[in-house]
Amino acid sequence: MLTVSSLQKSFATDQGRLNVIDDVSFDVPEGQCYALLGPSGCGKTTTLRCVAGLEEPDSGRIEIAGRVVYDSALGINVPTHQRPIGIVFQSYAIWPHMDVFENVAYPLRVARPRIPKAEIEQRVMDVLALVGMKDVARRPAPRLSGGQQQRVALARAIVRRPALLLLDEPLSNLDAMLREQMRKELADLIARIGVTALFVTHDQAEALSLAARVAVMHKGKIAQEGAPRDIYSQPRNVFVAEFLGASNILDGRIISSDGAQALVEVGAGQRLRAKTPLPAGSAIKLLLRPERLSVSLHKPVDDSLRAQVSSVGFTGPTVDCSLTLDGAPIRVVAPADTPIKAGDEVWLTPLDRNGMVLAA
Amino acid sequence: MKRTAKQADDAGHFRRDWLSVLVPAAGALAAVYLIAAPLAMLIYAAFRGPADFLPFEDGAQWTLDNVIAVFTDPIMLGRVLPDTLIFVAGTVTLTTLMAMVLAWIVERTDLAARNVWFAIIIFPTLAPIVVKAIAWILLMSPNAGWANLALRGLFGWSGEGPINIFSMPGLILCQALATTPFVFLQLSAALRSMNPMLEEASRGAGASPFTTFRKVTLPVLLPGLLAPIILVTLITFEQFELPLIVGLPARINVFAFRIYNELNPASGLPNYGGAAAISLPFLALGLLALVAYNYAIRHADKFVTVTGKAFAQKRLPLGRWRIPAYAFMTIYVALSAVLPVGILVWTSFFGFTPPGKATWADATLAGYASFFSNPVFWRAVFNSFLVAGLSALIVTLLGGLIAWIVVRSKAPGRGLLDALTFMSLGIPAVIAALAVMVLYLSLPIGVYGTVWILVIAYSYRLATATRLSRATIMQVHKELEEASEAAGARWLTTQARILLPLLAPGLMSAFLLLFIIGMREFTIPFVLYSQDNVVLSVLIWQLFQGGQPAHSAALGTLMLLMVAPIIFFARRFLVARGSGD
Repeated sequence: MLTVSSLQKSFATDQGRLNVIDDVSFDVPEGQCYALLGPSGCGKTTTLRCVAGLEEPDSGRIEIAGRVVYDSALGINVPTHQRPIGIVFQSYAIWPHMDVFENVAYPLRVARPRIPKAEIEQRVMDVLALVGMKDVARRPAPRLSGGQQQRVALARAIVRRPALLLLDEPLSNLDAMLREQMRKELADLIARIGVTALFVTHDQAEALSLAARVAVMHKGKIAQEGAPRDIYSQPRNVFVAEFLGASNILDGRIISSDGAQALVEVGAGQRLRAKTPLPAGSAIKLLLRPERLSVSLHKPVDDSLRAQVSSVGFTGPTVDCSLTLDGAPIRVVAPADTPIKAGDEVWLTPLDRNGMVLAA
Repeated sequence: MKRTAKQADDAGHFRRDWLSVLVPAAGALAAVYLIAAPLAMLIYAAFRGPADFLPFEDGAQWTLDNVIAVFTDPIMLGRVLPDTLIFVAGTVTLTTLMAMVLAWIVERTDLAARNVWFAIIIFPTLAPIVVKAIAWILLMSPNAGWANLALRGLFGWSGEGPINIFSMPGLILCQALATTPFVFLQLSAALRSMNPMLEEASRGAGASPFTTFRKVTLPVLLPGLLAPIILVTLITFEQFELPLIVGLPARINVFAFRIYNELNPASGLPNYGGAAAISLPFLALGLLALVAYNYAIRHADKFVTVTGKAFAQKRLPLGRWRIPAYAFMTIYVALSAVLPVGILVWTSFFGFTPPGKATWADATLAGYASFFSNPVFWRAVFNSFLVAGLSALIVTLLGGLIAWIVVRSKAPGRGLLDALTFMSLGIPAVIAALAVMVLYLSLPIGVYGTVWILVIAYSYRLATATRLSRATIMQVHKELEEASEAAGARWLTTQARILLPLLAPGLMSAFLLLFIIGMREFTIPFVLYSQDNVVLSVLIWQLFQGGQPAHSAALGTLMLLMVAPIIFFARRFLVARGSGD
């Protein structure tokens, strides 16, 4: 459906040329929702803009619905208005001089060959009904709330039934409460109309909950690609691990290994077992997720890690604890009834021995 | 799917939307032509001689004589240069002082009826300088000026004076009265957007209001002050009207008048080469001031305390300064607006007869009545509206297009185009008129002497439109245009249905401003004057000089009435800013 191959783009900066997109390739099958996730400046938005034709790559190839829209070798670059796409912009870009209906009708009005008036009316009202905006069809654009703007932007993007829907940070302009609700609505809508979608976000929860596949981008490259659960539980490197959730990452070393399970040393000679194919002697990073550690006052298993509690912050459902493990700061989120206080010596035990060891 | 055939089709079909290249390219070309072609011809003419030959005429050849003559001319060095410098320096100083005091009183004190004062201070900018100059002469000429008659009558003096408008101080006063509103507008905006806590902190530290103004307000505003001051320097520097009307009887010889003199010598032929050669150093000075201006506006932006946000300002009670403050305001407003308008209207009915000596029987409508049967009047009205309207339209559209190229496109050379259009701000009107004259005397297309040469000459002021539209375009989020592209609209459709409607208010205000500038314009139509292309501002001056004060004043009054309706449109952009509280 959407195939991006070996996409490359660089900008000139003060420090010479910067690769904004560095050899990016991915595939989005028909009807799937695909997320590009990463911090600002990682190249995700530029990638989306290249797919839209709003930005011209230096080289590579982009194919939408079986049609090559960009190919540096063949010299093809189809302008945006001839690509079968719909875009929801970060700012929503609702035209302030038109009302809701006219905003949504615009893609049909500029379509050639012309679409009959009655059909435009019908299609616009259908899609407004779909996003729950039928009642405010004649409201002027400047009088829309953030959530309404988002719905109008979405309606406008899908009204001409594009082969590919592009969403650029679709929820980032909404406040936290609304974002949650719109995320569910968006997921529901995309599933209902069955459109292929590519969206860009810096919010990991958004990417993990909306997309069937996620590509984490870092410095213009795809750092890791896969199903949300796989990426979360099996991060390939420190960047992905940290980006997908607050993590404790400690320096360590593999003492011994049988090829699947290894004995890892961290801090001042503390040891624990973890699953990893890395050989003995490897320097590693040990990843301990704050919510995947159990805390106890007595040593539960022989490879628990000893730590000192420096402070305990009560948040309601949980306690957010700061600890030190042989001098290194560690954060643990534990159930609220965990009986610990500042100054206690405690034992930490990982709940899961998978995906803990990353190559240093 | 048969992809290969489709690809070949795509490659052929999906070239860039050709209109998106062609339209901006045509606009850029037109802009370059309007600004650069006359200038190139001017520089060329400066190095061709003999001096009374046009550069392309048979017999003209390369020469340095013109340039050498300028730099060795004792009048040039002994009179023109010092006169120009004193005129500019005096005007800028007086303008800044008056504007600063006015702005501070209006924005920061408990002055009554602030919005009325504000409107009266701004109003004279609409009137052509020629009209104001005539009014000031009627008011302050040494023998028959009303102010002198009143003073002499009051103190029993005889003879001439005491005020003499025909002097360097008189010229500077008139020019400063004409330029003060521009600086006042900018300063009052800056004062309004200054965080009052900065001043309150100073008051809280024990400083008096005056010390606070000196130690806090002024230093904070200074970077923002620099740009309007340089702009006034530029405006004054290129002045031609007042030096001609007020300065000439006093034998004050500024460069703008000098250039005109070379083209219209008392005897002999027009000295094109000489006029062009005089232009060169002053063109360089103008552009230098422009570079400084550009620097100042860039650095004013970096000054974070003065933002676009308007604060509710605390107003100081005038207290014992009440009388001097109101006296200053009254004298300023009387000299700049109220008396000129009064005198003009009076003179249009009574001629030179002042109020004390006139009876109702002396009043005559002859000044007005004569116009209806005068074909020259109707030609001037038609020409004024045609030239001001058409050139404003051209400049607005072209300027908008250039601004779009600079802000939105990735066209190569857009930086150069930006610099070139911006440069038009630094070209004195008299030099622009001279350059256009030399160009179209040389080009055999027959626009010289017609009204069309005025349309072309007025249209060099692209910077006014580019800078206004630029600010508007930058406020239009780029995604609004991209959303249209993504919706499947071609380039021209996007421009027509998305960008143009969004820019319309900004373009409208640019058009109005340019229209007013065009109606006020005197220098260009005066230098390029012919029987066919006479405009109202030139006709007013001709009537006054021809000894018909009532006719001249009547025409001036009519002209004020013509531009006055514009104030109702302009209110939105000028006075609306004044009612910040």
